[in-house]
Amino acid sequence: MSSPFDPALSRRNFLKWSGASAAAIAAGSQTPVLHAQAKDGNTGQAPTVAHKYTVCGMCLNACGMIARVENGVVTKLDPNPRFLKSRGMLCARGNAGIQQLYDPDRLKYPMLRKGERGEGKWERISWDQALDIAAEKFMKIAKEYSRCGVLFTPGSDTQSTFVHWFAEVFGSYNIATHESSCLLSRNRAYLDTFGEVPFADVLHTRYIIIVGANPFEAIMTPDTIDLMTARKNGCKIVVLDPRYTKTAGLAHEWFPIKPGTDMAFFLALAHVITQEKRYDQTYADEKLYGINELTEHVRQYSPEWAEKETEIPAEAIRRIARELSAAAPEAIVYPGRRTSDYVNSTQMRRSMAIVNALLGNWDRPGGLLAARQVGLANPDLPEAPFYDDNPENRLDHGMANMMFDEEGSFKHLRDAIIAGKPYPIKGWFIYKYNPLQSLANRKKTIEMMQKMDFIVSVDITMSDTAYMSDLVLPAPSVLERQDPAVGLQGSSACACVMARDPVIPPLYESRPVFDILKGMAGRMELAEFFDFTVEEYRKGQLKGLPDAEKALREDGVYYNPSKLYGVYDGKIYKTLSKKIEIYNQRYAQMGADPLPVYQAPREQPVNRYRLVVGRSACFTHCTTQNNALLHEMMPENTLWLHPRSARKLGLTDGDRVEVKSHAGRGELAVSLKNGIREDTVYMASGYDPLSPGLTRIYGRGACIADLIEDYADHLSGNMAMHETFVQITRKGAV
Amino acid sequence: MRTQLAMVIDSSTCIDCKACMVACKVENQVPEGYWRNWVKSSEPRYADVDWMDSVRPAHFQPGGCMHCSNPTCVSACPTGATYKDESDGAVKVNDRLCIGCGYCIPACPYGARYRHPTRHVVDKCDFCQHRRDRGELPACVTTCPTKARVFGDINNPKSDAAQLLKQNRSIQIVHESVNTQPNMYYLSATAPINWPVKPGKPDAMQFWKLINPSIWGVVGLNALGVLLMLGKQILMSHDKPAADNSSPEKES
Repeated sequence: MSSPFDPALSRRNFLKWSGASAAAIAAGSQTPVLHAQAKDGNTGQAPTVAHKYTVCGMCLNACGMIARVENGVVTKLDPNPRFLKSRGMLCARGNAGIQQLYDPDRLKYPMLRKGERGEGKWERISWDQALDIAAEKFMKIAKEYSRCGVLFTPGSDTQSTFVHWFAEVFGSYNIATHESSCLLSRNRAYLDTFGEVPFADVLHTRYIIIVGANPFEAIMTPDTIDLMTARKNGCKIVVLDPRYTKTAGLAHEWFPIKPGTDMAFFLALAHVITQEKRYDQTYADEKLYGINELTEHVRQYSPEWAEKETEIPAEAIRRIARELSAAAPEAIVYPGRRTSDYVNSTQMRRSMAIVNALLGNWDRPGGLLAARQVGLANPDLPEAPFYDDNPENRLDHGMANMMFDEEGSFKHLRDAIIAGKPYPIKGWFIYKYNPLQSLANRKKTIEMMQKMDFIVSVDITMSDTAYMSDLVLPAPSVLERQDPAVGLQGSSACACVMARDPVIPPLYESRPVFDILKGMAGRMELAEFFDFTVEEYRKGQLKGLPDAEKALREDGVYYNPSKLYGVYDGKIYKTLSKKIEIYNQRYAQMGADPLPVYQAPREQPVNRYRLVVGRSACFTHCTTQNNALLHEMMPENTLWLHPRSARKLGLTDGDRVEVKSHAGRGELAVSLKNGIREDTVYMASGYDPLSPGLTRIYGRGACIADLIEDYADHLSGNMAMHETFVQITRKGAV
Repeated sequence: MRTQLAMVIDSSTCIDCKACMVACKVENQVPEGYWRNWVKSSEPRYADVDWMDSVRPAHFQPGGCMHCSNPTCVSACPTGATYKDESDGAVKVNDRLCIGCGYCIPACPYGARYRHPTRHVVDKCDFCQHRRDRGELPACVTTCPTKARVFGDINNPKSDAAQLLKQNRSIQIVHESVNTQPNMYYLSATAPINWPVKPGKPDAMQFWKLINPSIWGVVGLNALGVLLMLGKQILMSHDKPAADNSSPEKES
C-alpha cells in the first residue's frame, strides 16, 4: 500500500482547504475529503460501510460530521473537513455523540406519571395514548385559563423552531428559551450600541481581551480554534477571570479580577483611550454618537480608581489600554457568550461594547463582524389564528425594562407563575430544557411546577425536569432525525447552511418533536398548521438557494459567498441616532443610565464565598455529565477552594464539606486550587441530579442549581448566576 | 528509506479538550477505565499556580504510544507478539500471539499499554491501522481542534511531519535510563518531560531469576514454546515481525 498520507488529507491540505474561498468550495474542489468517497452510500471498499454527512447536536455550535455506519450501526463520528465553521474538528463531546445514541439510559417509550411528582413511578403507554392525553390536558387548560395558560420552553435545538410555531398557533405568548439564562444581556448591550449582535473576527485579530468568557474550555466554533490560530500568529491574549481557567492558562496575561468589578476595568480603559485621544477622531466624528459625553463621563474613572475596585494594578490597566488601542482596529474586547452573571450585566457589557466602539473595529477584519447573508427563506405557512380571549401580554411582561418579548425571562416568569399573577399558567411543554439542573434555585423551579396541572417533557434521557413531569416523551438524537435547514455564521469563516438527514432510523419508540407537535396539533383542530413534512419545510427554506441541495448532499454544507467585511458601507446603524450609540438615547428616555455608571458589587458577607459558574470542554451545561465517554473525565464535581481559605476553614484537599446558600445546600469534596481567588469558589454544573435515571451521576457531587440564588439583570431580565455567596463547613472527618 | 510513521506534536497549541482521547476510545473500542492516549498537564498543574506570585503559562501535552525505534516493550515480550512493524515503523501487538502475560506493560516507560479486561491481550495504539488501511488518518489526528498532532512518515521529506520536524527544533521524551528512540516528537518547549518511568521487567520475571536454578529447566521448555510460537507467527502472518536488535537496559 502506498502511503496514504502524502496526497490525502494532510494537515497542509486541510489548512489549504480551510483557507479556500467560499466560491471555490461551492464550485467543488479536488481536495479529498475524509476519504475520497466520503458521501452518502457505499465507499466501494466494503459494501456494509457507509459514510454519511451530518451535524453534531451535543451543544448548539453545530459542527460538521461524517458518521461511519457499519451494518446499520454508527461506529464513529469524524469531523467533516469541508465544514469551515467547525474548522474540520470534532471535540470530545462531538465524539461522544455516539454514546448519546446508544446510551442505555435513554428514554425508550412514552411514560405517564403514576405516583406523586418526583416519586419516580411511571406507566408505559402508547404514543396514541400519550398524544391524546397531552392534547386533552392542554385544551382543558386553554379553556379554563386561556391559551396563555400553557408555557412553552424550547431549548436550543434545530427543531425548536417547530415548538415556537406550535406555541404560536396554539395561541400562547408564554415562551421562554435558553437565552434568558445565557446571553441576553450581551445581546441587549450590543444591540443597544451597534444595532446588532456581532461575531468576533478572532482569527484576524492582533489583541484580544477576554472577560467573563472561557473559549478554550467553553468550546465555540470557530472562535476557540481561531483563538489558538491567532495566538500562533502573534495575537496577544489578556484574560480577566477570578479563576485560572485553561483560557487564562494559555493567555499571555491573566488578572484574577475581583468578581463583579469588570465594568470598572472597561470604564478605565475608556478613560485612558479618551483622555489620551487614542481613538480615530475622523471615525468617531462620522460613526459614533456620544463621544464627547463619554469623554466627560469617564474622566472620573481613572486606572488608579479602577485598581481599588478590580485589584488590577493601575499601570497594567493603562498599559493594556495603550496596547489595545495601538493594535486597533484589529483589536477586540471579546463579547463572550454566557453573560448570565451579575445584576448589572447589560451595563457591564455596554462598557465593553463602548471600548470596542472606541477601537473602530466594527465591520472590519480582526474586529466585530455584522451578520452575513445566508439566504434561507421562510417557508410559506398559514397565518396563525388569533384568540381574543387571551390576555394582552406575556406573563413576565414589564418585569424588566428592556426584556426581549420573544425570549422572556425564565427568572421573572417563574416568580409570576408562583404568584399566579397577573394570570395563572397551568401547563408546560418542555423540549430539551432542564432548568432543574441548569438554572438558579432548583427549589423554586419545583415550587413553580407544583403550581401546574400538567407538564410534558420531550427529552432523550430522564433529566431532572423530565423526572418531575407528568408525561415524558422519548426524543431521538440528532443522528436519527431529519431537521430543517439552519443558517450559521462562523464568524469570518463562513456563512453557511446545514441540514440533517437521519444517519440511522430512530431507536426504540423515540419520535422527533416535530412528529409529536404534529400529532398534538391534529388532536386540537390545528392540523392545518402542521400540514407539511420536515422535507417540505426544508424545500421552502432553500427555495432561494438553487445550489444548496446539491452542496448539502456532496459536501454536507452549503456556503453563501456573501459579503464579509464592509457590510455597513453606505448603510445606517439600527439605532435611534443611526450611528454607533456610545450614549444610548433610549436608555436616557426611559430613565436608565445612557452611559454605564459604575456600581460596586454587593458587599461580600464575612466568612462567605462567592460561587461562580464555569465550563469544561467535556460538558455542555448539564447535559453530558452522564455520558459514559465523558463521565470518566469528571465522575463527580468538587469545590475549588484556595489553600489559604481552606486553612482558615480547617480543610485539607479531599475533605467533604457542606455548602449552603439562601437557596439550598449540597455536599461534596473540596479541591485545593491556587488558581482561584481566596474569596471565590467554583464547582462544575450538572451533578447530583434528582433523577435516578441518570445512573452514572446519580448521587455524585453537588448540584449547583440548588445553590445559586435567583437574581436577574435589571435591564434584560437575564439570569444573574454569580450573585450568590455560600457558607462552607466541614462535613465529618474523612 | 524505510517508512517510519511518527507524530510531530506542537503541544503549545493543545487546549486539553480531550477530543483525541474520546475519539481514540470510540475508534478502538477502548474499555471504560483504560486509555490508549492522553493529555498531560505541565507541573504545577494549570489550576495550581499561585497567582499572587508569578503565573507560568499552562502547557498541555498530547501523547500516546511513542512507537519507539528502540522499544523496551518488544524486548520484554516473551512470545514475539509485540513487534516493530518494519513496513510502517509502528510498534504493534499481534493478538494471536499475545498470551496476556503483561510483561510489556511495565517495560514501557510511557504507560502506553494495558491488559484488555475482556480480550485478555495487551492493547495499545497502533496509529489506527484500520483507518490507515482505508486511507484515513488516525482518529486523534483527524479530530484535534487545533491540529496539534501532525502525523506522517518522517523518512519521507515531503510529508508534513518531516517538514515540520525539519523546520523546527524538537525534542523526544525519554527516561534517563534508556534511549528508547521514540517516534513522538514535540516541538521545542514542551512540558512536562520528566514523567516517563524506568522501564521495568515485571516482578515475576525477576522472581524466577532469583529462585532455585532447577527452574531453568522449566524456563528452557518455556523458551522452546516461545520459539514455536514465533515460528507460527512467521509462517502464518505476512506482517513479518521485526528482528529484535534492541538492547534495553537490564534491570538489576
